[in-house]
Amino acid sequence: MATPETVLPEPEVLTENEQLGKINSDYTERYGFHDAENYLYKAPKGLTRQTVEMISDFKSEPEWMREFRLKALDHFLARKQPTWGSPMLAEVDYDNIRYFVRASETPSRSWDDVPEDVKRTFDRLGIPEAERKFLSGVGAQYESEVVYHQVHKDLEAQGVIFTDMDTALREHEDLVRKYFATIIPPNDNKLAALNSAVWSGGSFVYVPEGVHVEMPLQAYFRINTENMGQFERTLIIAEPGSYVHYVEGCTAPTYSSDSLHSAVVELIAQPGARIRYTTVQNWSMNVFNLVTKRAVAYEDATVEWVDCNLGSKLTMKYPSIYLLGERAHGEVLSIAFAGAGQHQDAGAKIVHAAPNTTSNIFAKSISKDGGRGSYRGLLEVAKGAHGSKSKVVCDALLLDEHSRSDTYPTIRIGENDVDVGHEATVSKVGEDQLFYLRSHGIPEEEASKLIVNGFIEPITKELPMEYAVEMNRLIELQMEGSIG
Amino acid sequence: MPQIIDVCPLSDLPPGAVRLVEWEDLEIGVFNCGGTVYAIEDRCTHDDGTLADGELDQEACTIECPRHGSLFDLRTGKPKTLPAYVPVDTFPVIIDEEKIKLEVE
Repeated sequence: MATPETVLPEPEVLTENEQLGKINSDYTERYGFHDAENYLYKAPKGLTRQTVEMISDFKSEPEWMREFRLKALDHFLARKQPTWGSPMLAEVDYDNIRYFVRASETPSRSWDDVPEDVKRTFDRLGIPEAERKFLSGVGAQYESEVVYHQVHKDLEAQGVIFTDMDTALREHEDLVRKYFATIIPPNDNKLAALNSAVWSGGSFVYVPEGVHVEMPLQAYFRINTENMGQFERTLIIAEPGSYVHYVEGCTAPTYSSDSLHSAVVELIAQPGARIRYTTVQNWSMNVFNLVTKRAVAYEDATVEWVDCNLGSKLTMKYPSIYLLGERAHGEVLSIAFAGAGQHQDAGAKIVHAAPNTTSNIFAKSISKDGGRGSYRGLLEVAKGAHGSKSKVVCDALLLDEHSRSDTYPTIRIGENDVDVGHEATVSKVGEDQLFYLRSHGIPEEEASKLIVNGFIEPITKELPMEYAVEMNRLIELQMEGSIG
Repeated sequence: MPQIIDVCPLSDLPPGAVRLVEWEDLEIGVFNCGGTVYAIEDRCTHDDGTLADGELDQEACTIECPRHGSLFDLRTGKPKTLPAYVPVDTFPVIIDEEKIKLEVE
């Protein structure tokens, strides 16, 4: 807040072209920069059996994981590239990707031990500051591996495990083996098979029975190299009656050729547990973001996905929840922002597999400058899941004539005694809305931002405050220069 | 009313082997898992694909759906991994004078 002594700067007056130029320059400055590459190892481009074996060797993995990877590679090679979703999928060139890049030896628990240039990157992105202020723990992944991991001592004392997946495999092998790939098997789809073959990094979270992790755990994912593939693997297990909120963010430098991010995320909410998983995805415009996220919720458990997709060239991501126990609840809140050259194919899948389960899907997409936002969703109520209730609302906002919005909802109901609602709207920022706001003295661009912020407010209000502020800032950044 | 149907001589289905039998409109997969024979409906509850073409793990006593990777426990028919979440039907196996028979209904 401004004090009487504070001199506020004069507002910058920019032409439209300057404003448009400012969008890119800001991404480059804030997120799109890249560091010099002082790597310990950088795999050659392309995926072979040798690459997979090399990753496993590097990590000194147990034999079962090596076999798991090689079998997954066979699945990946045997499967055709999907043809549904987006025509952009055909542009993914698996031979022009590096599948493993090692930046540091082992994940560090001291910020001082992180390699200097990597540290500078995360400093620039504000990670250590965020950890001090409002997080229970932080993980930072740079290229293929996690370079820094820390969790509050009091949580460790309560038995909470928050570590990178590679360390978890070494130190908690029994737990990992029990749950790993039970929610998303390697042969689930081509991209899950790819991740299973070359996975590296990601988070492992274990919350013991009855423990509530009050402040969020955060992971930050950063790609630095050109034509990099990042394949993190995250597994969260919340034991009965526990609670955890996990937040992830991701950025990458802007390059002229493409990178690939293909994560697999599995959540297990045991009876009465609650998991909230928040993503603020802001990859640069040269990243294909093809992610499989799935959760199970047992009796009286709750799983919430809060999924914000702002960046990337193409995102295909449909966080799923299987409600396997009576009275389980699932919720997906999804925002997608598609600008020039972007296709955000996002959505949600919820399966009611037990009686009296409840779910909500709220999806909002905003398209501008020829961008394409798609909602793709599945709602399934299985036979026997009587008394289940679900509400699906998907709204799209088009900011100009060149942009596109599609809705592909699928609903399968196998039970009579259910209450299912589906609403979908597509609206344009109309001249009348803009005129109304302008007539109250609000400049046109500001008015447009207000309309968009009002549109996404039901979802941003669910974000922790710091993220809501960042989200609004990012949306405003994306909106600059959109009127004209 | 249960019926007993013949499958094959036990010697024709050694450990690790799989055989498909048809009964009325059902296809049933018969598996020899480390010397014990199990029978399940040959239809993945996720998307109706055949299971008999999948990988049999004799140690874990599971069959992996070749389409999306769900693992089914041959003893109970229950899925051990998603995306399937509904069990497949199982059928009692009778070994009678070195012949494999199934009880179907």
